[in-house]
Amino acid sequence: MKKIAKLKLTPWMAWVGLLVTVIAAGVAAGLMVFVKGLSLTNLTDMVPWGLWITIDLSSIAISAGAFSLCAAVYLLGLKRYQPLARTATFIGLIGYTMALLTLLMDIGRPDRFWHAVVYWNRHSLLWEVTMCVTLYLAVLALEAMPIFAQFEWLRTRLPRLAARMERVHHYAPYLAIVGLGLSMLHQSSLGAVYGVLKSRPLWYRPDISILFIVSAVAGGMALTVFASMLSARITRRANIDDGLLERVAYFIGWILVGYLYFRFWDALSMTYTYEPGRTEGLRMLTSGPFAFNFWIGEMLLGAVVPILLLLRRRTRQVPFWRMLALLLVVGGVVAYRWDTNLSGQLIVLSYLPGEPAVAYTHYVPSLIEFASGAGVVAYGLLAFSLGVRYLGVVNHEAAAEEHFEEMPAREALPAPTGD
Amino acid sequence: MNKRERFALAAVFALLAAGVTLVMVQAKAEAPAPAVQEQEPLNCSECHQDFQMEWASGAHSSATNDPIFAQAWADQGQPGACMVCHVTGYDPGTGTWEQDGVACTACHNPVPTNHPEEPMPVQDTTELCGQCHSDARFGWQEWQTSTHYQRGMDCTVCHDPHSASLKNVEGLEAQGPSGLCVNCHRDYNMDFPYSNHAMAGLNCVDCHLRHFGSSGGRTIHTMPDHSFTASLTSCTSCHDREMHGPTDAATGAEITTQAVVPATNGALAEEPAPVSPYGFAGLAGLLGLAGGMVLAPWLERAYRKLSQKEKSS
Amino acid sequence: MSETNLNRRDFLKLAGVSVAAIGGLQIYRRAEASSGGPEGEHQWAMVVDQSRCTGCDYCTLACRAHNDINPEISWNQVIETGAISGKQVYLARPCMHCEHAPCVDVCPVQASTYRPDGIVQMDYDRCIGCRYCEVACPYGARSFNWEAFTGRNPAVPQWGQPEVARRPRGVVEKCSFCSQRIDRGLALGLTPGIDPDATPACVVRCPTGARIFGDLKDPESNVSQLLRGHASFRLREDLGTRPRVYYLPPNGSPEA
Repeated sequence: MKKIAKLKLTPWMAWVGLLVTVIAAGVAAGLMVFVKGLSLTNLTDMVPWGLWITIDLSSIAISAGAFSLCAAVYLLGLKRYQPLARTATFIGLIGYTMALLTLLMDIGRPDRFWHAVVYWNRHSLLWEVTMCVTLYLAVLALEAMPIFAQFEWLRTRLPRLAARMERVHHYAPYLAIVGLGLSMLHQSSLGAVYGVLKSRPLWYRPDISILFIVSAVAGGMALTVFASMLSARITRRANIDDGLLERVAYFIGWILVGYLYFRFWDALSMTYTYEPGRTEGLRMLTSGPFAFNFWIGEMLLGAVVPILLLLRRRTRQVPFWRMLALLLVVGGVVAYRWDTNLSGQLIVLSYLPGEPAVAYTHYVPSLIEFASGAGVVAYGLLAFSLGVRYLGVVNHEAAAEEHFEEMPAREALPAPTGD
Repeated sequence: MNKRERFALAAVFALLAAGVTLVMVQAKAEAPAPAVQEQEPLNCSECHQDFQMEWASGAHSSATNDPIFAQAWADQGQPGACMVCHVTGYDPGTGTWEQDGVACTACHNPVPTNHPEEPMPVQDTTELCGQCHSDARFGWQEWQTSTHYQRGMDCTVCHDPHSASLKNVEGLEAQGPSGLCVNCHRDYNMDFPYSNHAMAGLNCVDCHLRHFGSSGGRTIHTMPDHSFTASLTSCTSCHDREMHGPTDAATGAEITTQAVVPATNGALAEEPAPVSPYGFAGLAGLLGLAGGMVLAPWLERAYRKLSQKEKSS
Repeated sequence: MSETNLNRRDFLKLAGVSVAAIGGLQIYRRAEASSGGPEGEHQWAMVVDQSRCTGCDYCTLACRAHNDINPEISWNQVIETGAISGKQVYLARPCMHCEHAPCVDVCPVQASTYRPDGIVQMDYDRCIGCRYCEVACPYGARSFNWEAFTGRNPAVPQWGQPEVARRPRGVVEKCSFCSQRIDRGLALGLTPGIDPDATPACVVRCPTGARIFGDLKDPESNVSQLLRGHASFRLREDLGTRPRVYYLPPNGSPEA
């Protein structure tokens, strides 16, 4: 660079600048944690899993759009959603890397993160989650190769490599099968990580696994649609097929109905008969410190309002309301994981003889946890923004064209399949 | 062959020789130690520095060098009978001893030949301590009558043999030796602090571990009464004038017993945290937002009216 | 996508069979998830006699010294659990070394394993510090090293001397029934529970003899006889963990 270009504060630069600042703060916080240890957090022996685990769970949940949309496109034959599956795959890749970054900070020995892959414990759900996440990250990386092959720099400098990466797309159906299997395993297992603990009555039930995967599918697809719509609004490099997105939003609305139905019965069944630990937990959720998060965050804004907005055509067709509803869905998914993770731990059940007495502890994340968490989220936003700008991940027109080019004659039937 | 090749060959030979020698020498060094008692005593403090430091700070280490003892011993003509206890490994035949003070092997013997594989003998028995602390002057017999001894306890329950002092339990140092008593007998600590005796500045050991008598005016070889019975003598040591006469001690006053609230671990609470005020604020904000959006057209109309009024006025 | 011949029906068939297979395998393997029973030569157990426990905490301090534990951590906890006829009752809680331990089930790297003699042992070199075991333990017996323990251990040497290495920052630790003492004692031909050098430090140090340790496999051992002759209970038996620490109730012994 011979002359120092005048740094024009375009909106893009401002956005990137903001994100980089937050990432820098996050990196600094993360380094402090690596050096000084987890005593910098507000985690205790009674509440060992806090904000970072919530971010980790939420990142994996909102990446669920990848497996569900890829399964829809390649296994159920709903080809028209392929461009959205492409966006979802990219978001999935980002989400899983976010989860891994957060996990790396959270475990006590980050230098031993590879132990789970080498030392197995087939009885452990957390082991299963770790293995599935590791394998699925590989699957996502492969699925995302065609996206990276679009990178202009790569296409001009290393055209053969770019072509090879593009050809991975041929294996998309197999990757979709593997991805579906792995995702169904670990999305529900993340819930089962809580659900198998007999020592925590609030968690000890099979519904949590189902609720986790259903909410993940809803949240993941919601984030994908929301991110596509927002990108299209902000930049011309992103273009969307609004009709397509409207159909997906409609589908999300019905998933939410199923989710709300499950949640209702899950909660109601816990109100019958007193069980130490479980009843208090439910009380904490409905009328205690989590009351607002539960009723307003999870139920009203997270499920009921989005259902109303997404199932009614008048609101669904208005982009503003649709985007708001989808954003609320994502918020509800995050709130659900925060509530589940925390409520079980804040209840301290005594193990002394007699009926177990219940005491309560408390937890507020420390500044370090907030900073590093925000850094990870900012990284995700930055990665997605870069993807939109340079990799064209939100591109319904071009992807549709490519897709139709590759299709042999028998697929190009006028009658639409599925939906 | 040229110089370089020769040097290379020589280096190879040298390495080979060194290696073989090293292997042979190491093998010899790892040969098992002879099963014969070491002539010089094991230097315990090489590994057990903590114990060494504790010992050095206590009475057992200065049993020989203590100036008062040394003076008294010298004054009495250096009798060997004292040395039986005041040194380690005393040989009455030759009048020599292995170590000054009550050192490690005074209690930890016989020393196993393969220490540290085999642990040192540790005999936590009254008999072991009683080998020295069992003189008629010491009054070891009272200890044998105490419930503590009959329940199988030994000296090391309260006394640390290395520092030759009482054990101290965290949190109870303020009560001195009595802190150790209440550490086990916690029930008594509930009401006793509110009693008159406590208010007068007394504590457990003042009545239950009194020093009785002296040998020739000295309290050197006497021990507090380890029968732990608060006998009549304990009472009369303060209340002797009140034995048969009128007493002005308060009787049957209302001793208000306050239930001592157990110190809860600060992390636990009986009730969950209250509903968060931020939640209320958030809800109010949402309602305000909704209300504002509904009322917006009227508000705008009102504002326009106002600004028109101002323009015209 | 155009080259694959996998149609919807085949896919569903394949998926169904795989799920059934994986599910079936899981059920089969679940049977291995417990220890104990007739496996080992010994089956160690501990008995805590609440009628003798005075809450003096000597066991906690001895444990802290012999295992070089951070003063902020307690492998053994002595808890006040109320009073009977005005006399305070205490309960000492070490690791239960459950026969069916939740911590062994949930560890993702199998850092917690069953020894043949029933002790649940921790491999501190394998632990990644995920704290799942800490969340899963119903007895709160596990502690995480939030900080490295540097500096002097205040319990040493008054209450004992360290026999094991200090754990690093970032791993979870717990009571080991002083397996280092048991193993050393057995190698020297001593009897754990009888010979102090082969017995857990907490048992040795208890001044009132409220803690007893022994081999349940030996019908004439101290613990076997105690459990035969007295009513005993274990903590949270409803959870099915089958702990190896038995408690004799407070008003059982005549010396109460």
